[in-house]
Amino acid sequence: MALNLEKLSSVLQNFVSGTADVQGAALVTPDGLPLTSTLPSGMDEERVSAMSAAMLSLGERIGSELARGSIDRIFVEGDKGYGILTSCTEDAVFLVLADKAAKQGVLMLEIKRSLAELKLLLA
Amino acid sequence: MEIMRLVVTGPVGAGKSTFIRSVSEIEVVDTDRRATDEVADMKHKTTVALDFGRLQFGPQHALHLYGTPGQARFDFMWDILIRRAHAYILLVAAHRPHEFRYARRMLMFMEQRTQVPLLLGMTHCDLPGAWAEDNLMLALGYVPGRPRPPVMVVNANDRTSVAQAIIALVQHSMAQQGSFIP
Ligand SMILES: Nc1nc2c(ncn2[C@@H]2O[C@H](COP(=O)(O)OP(=O)(O)OP(=O)(O)O)[C@@H](O)[C@H]2O)c(=O)[nH]1
Ligand SMILES: [Mg+2]
Repeated sequence: MALNLEKLSSVLQNFVSGTADVQGAALVTPDGLPLTSTLPSGMDEERVSAMSAAMLSLGERIGSELARGSIDRIFVEGDKGYGILTSCTEDAVFLVLADKAAKQGVLMLEIKRSLAELKLLLA
Repeated sequence: MEIMRLVVTGPVGAGKSTFIRSVSEIEVVDTDRRATDEVADMKHKTTVALDFGRLQFGPQHALHLYGTPGQARFDFMWDILIRRAHAYILLVAAHRPHEFRYARRMLMFMEQRTQVPLLLGMTHCDLPGAWAEDNLMLALGYVPGRPRPPVMVVNANDRTSVAQAIIALVQHSMAQQGSFIP
């Protein structure tokens, strides 16, 4: 895999700095290793990556087991904000952390846009 | 129906997922994903969240089998799973001595969080280089005088062998707690 990490990381950085109320993002492998990330300080990249992979794998399994079909995203809503996981390609999972103030519609749109860019780079 | 939760833990490749797959009566829930780290040299896939299987045990009891991931980056799953366990088994591949120290660390992690009965399962004993029980126990820190959990040879691929380990664990658990009587 000759990944262009520099480009991937700049897509992530643009997404985080260019979308209101987004606090961080990470691109990780499905087995939970970091590819690239822009995370709030104090958040451990390795741990975030492992948790993303675990959560997506369980979500996908729940989706199929409970007949919800293939999973577009997993959405965690807390009183301090959102965590949104999307499967990017077979080789990458996209995690976004957003503040509670974020507008969900805008967020989803921006995630979709970034996903398209990331997919091109990962292809 | 009384449910007993058994956790199967141990280092990468010890045979946790295989163990559960060998005895589960339901199609197991696995969360194995393609390994992209050094694990890929050993095997194709690795568990990233948990394995889940089920085994009926007498008319009144069901065993729920939970497998943990092996890699330390998933230790939040170790924590979640072990805290709810009624008993657990730690599998160690007896032919990979360089992993014993890691297995010992996993044991300490578990022992800090639970007091429930433990059984040690030595896997891969059929392969060259497999350590004998006494040496392996020493390597895991069970020096003479220190109380030892029961130890067994287990082949995770062999349904009978896995069933024997589970029965031994349930019996050990009954002897220790007297609560679960199938
Ligand atoms: N020869 C031999 N092979 C075994 C034995 N026990 C397990 N195996 C093999 O060892 C491998 C274990 O793979 P898994 O079951 O995925 O291991 P795991 O512990 O779930 O690994 P992670 O989820 O990556 O932590 C499989 O290929 C099994 O067939 C044994 O006693 N003898
Ligand atoms: Mg496994």
